[in-house]
Amino acid sequence: MLDGIFTGLSTAVMPFNLMMVIVGCFAGTFIGMLPGLGPISAVALMIPITYGIDPSSGIILMAGVYYGAVFGGSTSSILINAPGCASTVVTSFDGYPLAQQGQAGKALALAAYSSFIGGTIGAIALLIAAPALAAVSLSFQSTDYFALMVLGLTAVAAFSGKGQVIKAMVMTIFGLMIATVGTDKTSGVPRFTFGSVDLIDGISFLLLAMATFALAEVVMTILNGKHKEEDAQLDMAQLGSMKLSKEEVLHVVPTVARSSVFGFIVGVLPGAGATIASFLAYGLERNIASAKDKLKFGKGSLRGLAAPETANNAASTGSFVPLLTLGIPGSGTTAIMLGALIAAGVQPGPRLFVDNPDVFWSVIISMYFGNLVLLILNLPLIPYISKLLTIPRPILIPLILFFSITGVYLVSFNTFDIHMMVIITIIALFLKLLEFPMAPMLLGYILGGLMEINLSRALVISDGSFSFLWERPLTLSIIIVAILILCLPPILERLHKRKSVRGPEVAVNEGEG
Amino acid sequence: MIFTKDHIGGLIFLCLSVTYGYYTGDIALLPGDEYESFHSQTLPYALAILGGLLSLALLITAKSDLNNKLSLHGYDFMLVSKLLLLVVLFALALEWLGFLLATVFFLVGGYWLLGERRPKTLLLASVPFAIGIWFALTQLLDVYLAPGQLYTQLFGG
Repeated sequence: MLDGIFTGLSTAVMPFNLMMVIVGCFAGTFIGMLPGLGPISAVALMIPITYGIDPSSGIILMAGVYYGAVFGGSTSSILINAPGCASTVVTSFDGYPLAQQGQAGKALALAAYSSFIGGTIGAIALLIAAPALAAVSLSFQSTDYFALMVLGLTAVAAFSGKGQVIKAMVMTIFGLMIATVGTDKTSGVPRFTFGSVDLIDGISFLLLAMATFALAEVVMTILNGKHKEEDAQLDMAQLGSMKLSKEEVLHVVPTVARSSVFGFIVGVLPGAGATIASFLAYGLERNIASAKDKLKFGKGSLRGLAAPETANNAASTGSFVPLLTLGIPGSGTTAIMLGALIAAGVQPGPRLFVDNPDVFWSVIISMYFGNLVLLILNLPLIPYISKLLTIPRPILIPLILFFSITGVYLVSFNTFDIHMMVIITIIALFLKLLEFPMAPMLLGYILGGLMEINLSRALVISDGSFSFLWERPLTLSIIIVAILILCLPPILERLHKRKSVRGPEVAVNEGEG
Repeated sequence: MIFTKDHIGGLIFLCLSVTYGYYTGDIALLPGDEYESFHSQTLPYALAILGGLLSLALLITAKSDLNNKLSLHGYDFMLVSKLLLLVVLFALALEWLGFLLATVFFLVGGYWLLGERRPKTLLLASVPFAIGIWFALTQLLDVYLAPGQLYTQLFGG
C-alpha cells in the first residue's frame, strides 16, 4: 500500500496534475454555482478536455470538478437560495436563513470547513477501503462481473428517484438499448445502424452525456423561463465575518464527525450518492438534536448546515470506492467519469489497481490536494468567484451552449454529431417533462457493452445455462444484494410514510451528485 | 380516466420496445450462430422483452392523479425551438463559414434570442470571445480547424 501511496503521490504532485486539481476545483465551483447546472453537467463539460490528456490527469481534473461543483452549489444555496445541484438543496435550508441574518460569511466558512473535513475523512477512508476491496475483487470471474453490472444498474435505478423505480428501470433498459446501436463487439455485426455509416461506431458516450446533461439542462432552464429571472444581486459588503467562535466550533464538531462517517458509508453504496447522503445526514442530525436545537433547524442552525455539507463531500469521495474497485459508479457523476475512463482506454474495476496503479492512487491522493485547494484558495476567493453569478443569463446561457456543442464537435470534427445532439436533447427534454430520470439511462449505456461481453462469456462457460447465477456463491450473493437493493426503496418509502420527517420536503432528484 | 405522464411514458416505451424487438430480427447472424447460446440478437431480444414488460408495469401501476397530468402550459417551447434551430444552423455554418464566423454568428444569435438587444454588448460578448477561442485552439493547442467550404470555393483550397 505504501508503494501505491508513493506512486500516487509522485503522479499527483506533477505540476500539470496539480494544475488540473486547481483548475478543476475552480471550474467546478463556478459551474456548480450556476443554478440548474450540477456536478453531472460540470463533469460532462470536462470530458472533451480529458480526451486530450493522460487518463490520470483526466480523472484528477474530473474529481476536482466534482467536489468543486458540490462546493459551488453550496455557495449559491447560501447566498441566493438557488441550489446549483440536488446535493446542496439541503444546504439552503439553514444556509440561506443564516445569510439573511447577515451571517453569510460565517455560513460560507462553515460550509467550506465542513466540506473540507468531510472530504478529508472520506479520502482517508477511501485510502483504506479501496485497496482492500480491490484486492478482494481480483478473484472475480466473468459471472461475478455480470452480477456486478446488474447490481450497479439496479442500484442506480433503485435510488434514482422518489417512488420512480419502474421509470428508472425503464430508463436503464433504454440506455442498454442505445448501447446496442453500432457494431457488435463480440461478432462484428452492425446492429440498428439502418445503413448509416455515422452509426457504425454507435452513439458516442461524449455526445450522449453532453446532450442529456449539459445541453438538455441548459435548454430546460430556458424552457422553464428561468433565464428571465432577475440576476443575483450580491452585496459583498453584507457577507459579514468569516470567523467562527470557539463555542460554535465545539457545537458542530460532533455533527461533522458523525456526518463524515455517515456520508462516506452512504456514498460507497452503489447508486446512493451525495444527494441522498445530504438529505439523510440532515434528517439524522435533526432527529438526534435536543428539543431546543431542533427548533433552530430551518431557521439558521449551524448543525443543520454542517451536517449536509460534510455528508455530501464525504459521499462524493465515498462514491469513488465502487467506481475504482468494482467499476460500478456510486452516482450519476461517477457514471460519467467511468465512461470517460473507458473512452481513454482505462477499465475501472478490480484490475485497475494492478494495471493502472498511477490512475488508481493519484486520484485518491489528489483528493487531499483538492480539499486543500477548496479551503485555501476557493474560500477567500468566494466573494470574487460569486461575482460571476451576476453575469446576465442571456450572455451566460449561449456561452454554456457553445461549450457543450463545440466540446463534442472538437473531438469528432463531424457536424453530424451536432445534429445528433439536437435530436437527443429533444428526446431528453421530452423525457424530463415526463419526469423520467436521466442518470440510469447513461449508466445503462455505459455498462451495456461490458455487461453483454461478460454475459456472453458466462453463458459460453456454463454451456448456455443460466445456472452460473446460483452455482457460484459470490455471484449469487451479488445477485441477492441487487434484488435487496431493488426492494429497498418501496420499503423505505413505506417507512417514510409512517414516520414523516418534519421540515422542508424536497424530492430527491435523479441520483445526481 | 386521467391520462398521466406515467401513462404517456409507458405507452412510448412500449412502442419503442416493440419497434426495437421488430428490428432485432433484422440483425444479421453469422453462420452457425443460431446454434450458439449467445449471439448478436440475444441481448437485444432480452432488452425488448424486458422493456415491454417494464412499460406494461408502468402503465398498470400508474396512478390517475391530477397532479401527475402532463401540462405544457408555461413552457417557452418557441424559444427553445429557435435555440435548437440556431444550433442546427451553427453546424451548417461550421461547414460553410468556418469556425470563427460560425461562432460569432451563433453567439450573437443566442444573445439576441435570449433578449439582449444592445449592439455593443452583442459584439463585445461574441467577437473577442470567438477570436480568443479560435486563437487558443489553432495557435496554442495546434488544433486544425478547417476553413469553411465557402472560403475554399471562393479563394481556393
